Amino acid sequence: MREIDQFDELDQSDLPDFCRKPTVVLGVGNILFGDDGFGCAVVDYVEAHYRVPETVCLLDVGTSVRKLLFTLCLSSARPERLLILDAIDAGRNPGEIFEINPAEIPPVKLDDFSMHQLPTSNLLRELQETCRVEVRVLACQTGPLPEEVSQGLSPAVSDAVPQAAEWLVGEYFPSSRAPRGDLCQTTC
Amino acid sequence: MAKTLVIQPVTRIEGHAKVTIQLNDAGNVDTARVNVIELRGFEKFCVGRPVEDLPRIMPRICGVCPWSHHLASAKACDAVFGVDPPPAGKKLRELCNSIAYMEEHILHFYFLAGADFLLGPDADYSIRNVIGVLQAAPDIARKVVKVRHMCAHMLEVLAGKAIHPQAAVPGGFSKPLAPAERDQLRKNADDALELAKFSIAFAKENVFPKYLDVVKSLGVITTGFLGTVKENGALNLYDGKLRLMTPKGAYEDFPYDRYTDFISEHIESWSYLKFPYAKQWGEGFSMDVENPKGVYRTNTLARINVCDFIDTPLAQAELEEFRAKFGRPAQLTLLYHWARLIELLYNAENTIRLLDDPEITSTETRVKCTPRAARGVGCTEAPRGTLIHDYTTDADGMVTNVNLIVGTTHNNAPINMSVTQAAKSLIHDGKYDQGVLNTVEMSIRAYDPCFSCATHRLDGKLSVKLDILDADGKLMGTLAN
Repeated sequence: MREIDQFDELDQSDLPDFCRKPTVVLGVGNILFGDDGFGCAVVDYVEAHYRVPETVCLLDVGTSVRKLLFTLCLSSARPERLLILDAIDAGRNPGEIFEINPAEIPPVKLDDFSMHQLPTSNLLRELQETCRVEVRVLACQTGPLPEEVSQGLSPAVSDAVPQAAEWLVGEYFPSSRAPRGDLCQTTC
Repeated sequence: MAKTLVIQPVTRIEGHAKVTIQLNDAGNVDTARVNVIELRGFEKFCVGRPVEDLPRIMPRICGVCPWSHHLASAKACDAVFGVDPPPAGKKLRELCNSIAYMEEHILHFYFLAGADFLLGPDADYSIRNVIGVLQAAPDIARKVVKVRHMCAHMLEVLAGKAIHPQAAVPGGFSKPLAPAERDQLRKNADDALELAKFSIAFAKENVFPKYLDVVKSLGVITTGFLGTVKENGALNLYDGKLRLMTPKGAYEDFPYDRYTDFISEHIESWSYLKFPYAKQWGEGFSMDVENPKGVYRTNTLARINVCDFIDTPLAQAELEEFRAKFGRPAQLTLLYHWARLIELLYNAENTIRLLDDPEITSTETRVKCTPRAARGVGCTEAPRGTLIHDYTTDADGMVTNVNLIVGTTHNNAPINMSVTQAAKSLIHDGKYDQGVLNTVEMSIRAYDPCFSCATHRLDGKLSVKLDILDADGKLMGTLAN
């Protein structure tokens, strides 16, 4: 068996973009469950309407966010800033956009029977407090979530997608603020 | 006075699970139930869609095992279209399956089960987490990170993307593997094999002996087993025939498209999730821990039990050692973790074997498909159990019916039985504490269940809440983390 110490050298180029790039934006949710697909829709919107700089990793991670967060917690290379886009039921008005500070979420034991139930909030807090990554969460209040598989956002949440995109771009890469359509009109 | 204890993880619309333990008047466990909500309405969602859309939609069901759903769906489409993918197409699919398995099993052992074993089942939940394991075993954590990165990178090279795979298509695989890419992946595969060898050696020396008493006692039940084997009886996680084994080890093999002849589903009023059982045994269904009927398990331990041998040398040697210790079939629930490591080793060896196969770089990776009215069944072994996708289409290839049986569904009855056994052995005379409840959860965790995919709860509400109700259902008190 090879000596296990030979694993210590890690080529940075082997690391995924969400570890190497200074800014990471993750759209989270299940597009098969109505407004739960908000985060993914915002990522799609930004990709379609703005120029995303090379320093930003913008990903629709769907329902796979835990695996990425695990990797970030363990990786020797991490972004400086991480933004999570997600839908949530917090009792507000449907379509309302607001920030959640992971530090304000009390440490809890969430389902950990399997990878399917790992506590995302705990992973985010670990990244923020132990790994010194600036973590922000932009949430959108959902309308009533379907009890059965049903793709598509409600009108209120759908209207919130461009607003969330505009906010995200303004916060994380303001030089790309003009939507792609305007840029094309100027240069073409 | 009789009491009901409830362990209630946080709910989410598409999935929640709770454990309800009913104590009798003497304060001993009467019954224990694990209530889950399964994914609902999926059949309706799929009806009317072109069947070739399903391999693209299915990975979105589950963010943890997307490849399993992706491949089972592609295989079901192959059957619907009546096509047999070329050898390279099948081998590329199997290669992706093996790599995805490695990533999954590494993560599960080190950071789910690992937290139980490396930090102890009574460790406070605030340190039974990723950073806790990292701090307890930093060198191991570094190796794990590197290999997981590599596995994700390998999947990107093979399939274009690691998240939400789309490369497996009806009729084969959309992207051939170039020789230069294969050479790159071959080096990565060697590193993965080293970690697999290290993992099982580490566990056999430092983990399993320490917890052997727990392994021998926690959640122990006696059931049959279901898994996939090749024609010659060898373990295979991508394709083969199904083998249904009785608790005593007798078995019957059948093609997976005949699963409805062997398996039926029982319904309980207190659970949304059905209880598949082996109707072929002719004994009906019962979850009585002392006298179960028709109950079988899937997942790692089942696959290790049903196969006659493993056709990769290192994993075969581990299987022989395992069987010498625990027999065949092995029944101890926590042996799922040991079996998971044997599978990790098999998948690492299988990855190398496939990459060394000259056919893997063939450019003939798919065949043409023509819509027709048909029924097709696709079956693979997902990490957490036998996964069946059953599709029916009309003459235009539009879906008219879908049936899915996921791994955890097969394990619904065994999970309930293991929890009952664990609760009965640990709670006496009405006495219990958080450590006891954590240990009950360990018996569930061994199955690595999927309580409805796609959970990613963010709002951090309290998860473990214990409501103590009297026999009339009146709330007497609440304990919570």
